[in-house]
Amino acid sequence: MASMEKRLQKELLALTKDPPVGVKVNTDAITKNLAEWTVDLEGAPGTVFEGENFQLQFKFGSRYPFDSPQVMFIGPNIPLHPHVYSNGHICLSILTDDWSPALSVQSVCLSVVSMLSSCKEKKRPPDNALYVKTCSKNPKKTRWWYHDDSV
Amino acid sequence: MGNCLKSPNTDDISLLRGSDAGPEVSSEQSANMGPPPPYQESIPIYHPSPNVSRPANQLTEEEQIKIAQRLGLINHLPTGVFDGTSKKAKECCICMEEFLLGDMLRFLPCMHTYHKDCIDDWLMRSFICPSCLEPVDAALLTTYETS
Repeated sequence: MASMEKRLQKELLALTKDPPVGVKVNTDAITKNLAEWTVDLEGAPGTVFEGENFQLQFKFGSRYPFDSPQVMFIGPNIPLHPHVYSNGHICLSILTDDWSPALSVQSVCLSVVSMLSSCKEKKRPPDNALYVKTCSKNPKKTRWWYHDDSV
Repeated sequence: MGNCLKSPNTDDISLLRGSDAGPEVSSEQSANMGPPPPYQESIPIYHPSPNVSRPANQLTEEEQIKIAQRLGLINHLPTGVFDGTSKKAKECCICMEEFLLGDMLRFLPCMHTYHKDCIDDWLMRSFICPSCLEPVDAALLTTYETS
């Protein structure tokens, strides 16, 4: 537990001091609970999400960074993207199978922004209706099939 | 086939580090609570895959073999003490702390270096280098074949 908090403190400091473009941590909410973060993301200029704002929620377990964080979109604007379900769940392999403890909140945010940026057509995943009806609240409990690397 | 991951009192960490790591429940705690019910006896938790945690007695035979092999392979990876001479290895990217003089390190075949405790914890879940995603055992096996 202690090592998880120490690392999160480090990440928080680095991310507030030197945030990547379009990524902003909501530090007010974090002071209460280090295990739950909200990050504001901006749609990158020149992409279909230009001018849009999104909120990404991170939940860290006591075994972070050995276990991946639980990451999903929350709030009023869930990006209309073939890998993002309408309940905010994201189909992105680094969030489960391809997680590595060398990844960080910053690298996850950049991967999500990059995933959004490569989208050409705004649409939901084809199985959205069924998935949203049947899935667990925790996206990490989903057995994801990573079958499409193009978006 | 016998159970190669026996003993409820030694966990994966203590097998790796010697006897310094005690059981997770402190003696103070257990004194307050009285003897634990049988099903709460401290059975070591293993991580056959990342994000999967299972007590030793609930592992499949396949997982037991996998973990036993990992323990063996980890012990073949070189270790050392950080003496400040390496210009390349400065920080452990698992805990994000800078290496300090005297820290115990472990060196992977891909030349990535971590704190011994940090990387051993990860290697018990996955044999992929966190930095370059190179499979650690593939490199080890090639070393065996060529030497």
